[in-house]
Amino acid sequence: MSHGDRFEICPRSWGVAISEAITVFRDGLAYGLSDSRFALDAGRLEITKGFKMEKDKIISEMVRLVGKENVLSSDMHLKLYEYDASLIRSKPDCIVCPTSTEQVSKVVKFAQDHKIPVIARGAGTNLSGGSVTVQGGIAIVLTRMNQILDMDIENLRVVVQPGVITLDLKNVLAKHGYLYQPDPASEKVTTIGGNFGENSGGPHCLKYGVTSNHVLGVELVLYDGQVVEVGGKALDNPGYDLMGVLGGSEGTLGIVTRAVLRIMPKAEAVKTMLCIFNSIEEGGNTVTAIIGEGIIPATLEMMDNLTIKAVEEAYHVGFPTDAAAILIIELDGLKDGMERLTERILAICKQHNVREIRVAKDQAERDKIWAGRKGAFGAVGRLRPNYLVNDGTVPRTRLPETLAKVVEIGKKYKLPIANVFHAGDGNLHPLILFDERDKDELERVHAAAMEIMKLCVDMGGTISGEHGIGVEKIKGMSFIFSARDIAAMKKVKAAFDPENLFNPGKVLPETEKAA
Amino acid sequence: MSNSTQWVSALKGIIGETNVIQDPDQLKAYAVDGLAPKAVVNPGSVEEISKLLTYAHSEKRTVVPRGNGTKMATGGIPGKIDVVLSMLRIHRITEHDIPNLSLSVEAGITLAEVQKMLAGTGKGSFLPLDPPYSDRATIGGIIAANSSGPRRYLYGSARDLLLGLKAVYPNGDIVAFGGKAVKNVSGYDMTKLMIGSWGSLGVITEITTKLLPLPEASATLLTSFEDLAKAGSMTRKILHSVLLPSAMELMDGKAASQLGESARYLVAFSLEGVREAVDRQVAEIGDIAKKEGAVDTKVLWGEEDRIFWRRVRDFAIASEASVILRSNFVISKQAEILGNYEKIAQAAGIGCAWIGHVGNGILTSYILENGAAKMGPVVDLIGKFTAEAAKHGGNLIVESCPRDLKEKVRVWGQPRSDDVVMRRLKERVDPVGVLNPGRFVGGI
Repeated sequence: MSHGDRFEICPRSWGVAISEAITVFRDGLAYGLSDSRFALDAGRLEITKGFKMEKDKIISEMVRLVGKENVLSSDMHLKLYEYDASLIRSKPDCIVCPTSTEQVSKVVKFAQDHKIPVIARGAGTNLSGGSVTVQGGIAIVLTRMNQILDMDIENLRVVVQPGVITLDLKNVLAKHGYLYQPDPASEKVTTIGGNFGENSGGPHCLKYGVTSNHVLGVELVLYDGQVVEVGGKALDNPGYDLMGVLGGSEGTLGIVTRAVLRIMPKAEAVKTMLCIFNSIEEGGNTVTAIIGEGIIPATLEMMDNLTIKAVEEAYHVGFPTDAAAILIIELDGLKDGMERLTERILAICKQHNVREIRVAKDQAERDKIWAGRKGAFGAVGRLRPNYLVNDGTVPRTRLPETLAKVVEIGKKYKLPIANVFHAGDGNLHPLILFDERDKDELERVHAAAMEIMKLCVDMGGTISGEHGIGVEKIKGMSFIFSARDIAAMKKVKAAFDPENLFNPGKVLPETEKAA
Repeated sequence: MSNSTQWVSALKGIIGETNVIQDPDQLKAYAVDGLAPKAVVNPGSVEEISKLLTYAHSEKRTVVPRGNGTKMATGGIPGKIDVVLSMLRIHRITEHDIPNLSLSVEAGITLAEVQKMLAGTGKGSFLPLDPPYSDRATIGGIIAANSSGPRRYLYGSARDLLLGLKAVYPNGDIVAFGGKAVKNVSGYDMTKLMIGSWGSLGVITEITTKLLPLPEASATLLTSFEDLAKAGSMTRKILHSVLLPSAMELMDGKAASQLGESARYLVAFSLEGVREAVDRQVAEIGDIAKKEGAVDTKVLWGEEDRIFWRRVRDFAIASEASVILRSNFVISKQAEILGNYEKIAQAAGIGCAWIGHVGNGILTSYILENGAAKMGPVVDLIGKFTAEAAKHGGNLIVESCPRDLKEKVRVWGQPRSDDVVMRRLKERVDPVGVLNPGRFVGGI
């Protein structure tokens, strides 16, 4: 991979994603470190600080609380932590890298006492600005809390610190024959804490559900520094499903310092098929037809021609560069009946004029197909200096129609759009390619992104399936929620964070008071 | 009295005269822990519910939402009940998107009615929830109580299935959360928060859920054991195998006998899916059971298969248990905990039957009729059962018991450290205390 050298400069614990965040990082090196740049819509925000304490004072207090070795405060560090994998940038006043729950609690308590915002942060692969300190304050980087604390195989649970890297955990579990199901494309670098905060998805979520279906308990630092246990190894604890509302709350309700995860035995059999189509519409219709036949595979992933070409150029996995679309179908479970299911799926593909079907013969071939899919964002990122990825979700039956309209939107705004999507879930990822130095182009990008969000809502879907609202999609919240819906959510926010200091400015838009 | 007449006539203004019950004799049927409401209302629309709650909020009246009343015995003793809000007229199927495998239904419809419609439409689908009270339980009640059944082992519970819901907040606000997209991180996942909130945060008026295609084949495998440790060892083998039963239930001899099976301990498996996989699992689990020391195995097909699971679900009704306790704990300890519960009950001379979701670490204890008279020993037994579950990472809820027993036990189990957050949440969402006050965890 040609990116390797770049990552030598920036170890992953510093918070940059290898695959999905590659463009941002490239951008960061090439131009992002210049302070003079300012582009409001691209996300360089004017910080309105609600606290009085001087930066130097915050830094010295942090050193006192967690030790010099766990505080980063040089200009270089502040610049390195001013972004995530979105286009949003804004510097923190100080960065702390706690090594224990007690340290996190002390920092949060201090921040509360002085009304300073805090943001919990993992690998920084967030795609919606969720990890960016848009109102300044303290970035709490949890990558040093990266221990697997308890491999409780007997009870099909593992207990981990939030900074554990998703794929590292999966690799450890694989040695024992077990799986943690969520598989975000960025799993090589993303952390469990970040996955939970964003409620990350991934290809296998079609069958197995998203992160919040697999995180059963957490240790949580509350706004006043108090540490509580929510959920646990056992299911159905009495009381409100706080785990449910914490998953995907984007660090706005508390900070997770430990998580209990559900694991499962590895499936007996897996079958992976690569189906090649000459028309993207036929690919989309195939997806609907498979589900309509009552077959729910483990994955139904699609990508369009622009993506296929980019992936092929970057990784040489053998995708045909002239195909209009490819569909990756994976079945898993018991081997019994799998051949018959495969035959049924192949028949459905043929009914929809599939050009070619390749069934992976072994793990190596399967890995190759998945390397192509998981590297898709990174590969597309090589085509232009920047991309903005949408994350709208529509009922899967509306997918072909939605895709056609996305293409029209691309034409309307004269922007190339590459499409990668979790087709079975109806979750689109149109990647709008551009060069952020071109102000006119940048404006068109934001207009197109807004229009795509609106389109997904009009199709009966929503604006984000797995990447989060953050800052980037906050304006789109009004497409789906009324002022009353938002007011209801704000009551939850107030119950957890009365002073609005956990990741302020994210998820919930300002609304007029509901009547 | 005149004050009371005044606000009841205001209710009539909102809901309509014929949909407000005031007759004291009729009201008795709606009593919670012996406490009858001052009125029962039967609204016909979500707007009426909104108006009702707006009014209750401003007048500081308490409202208890209700479906078919199958779970009214759960929860703390209420301080006061002004209005019981019946959801039975809010019962439409609002959208059945067959190719998308999703369904939106209102709260007052029964699950049985929904399943019947789904099975008979198109290629046939089902909502993979199988909670108790299979005929009567309404969708709203099931979701508000997070009620589940044996098949959650494979299909999960409401939190894994629901895509969105609509509710009326305690101040009368009509709100909608989630949607019909199968993946959704837009805003907080309020749907999950409302599931299992027992009507204390809002009145659930409609849900949207995923559906599954009807399985091609299904069967039940019953395996009986003389030795509990062997039954436990077998279930652990299955838990860690590649096999995928949709339910795995462990029960004691009393429960088995009530279900018409004779066994000291019975482990029942539900097997569903493609025909080849069902056949193989019947054979393979049967073999494993024999190797692990099962004294007998039996397979049920067709109608017998369906009836068996229906009887498991509705065990609470058939057993006529006076007290029902639900324990949760880490999944590997099921047999060990059942063994200890048996010893505790035996020492106290209290007759119990047990059925547990082995794959989920949930065990329900049914204290049979004759046990209820012994108040002191039952209180003591609940304490010991709770401690045993807590030792293994769990807790115990008293799902149903007479009022005088409720006064002496913690119906929601041992306090937890996150209770403080739950209290703050209730205070923010329902500051006046309109919805179900006093009945949920920690008296919120």
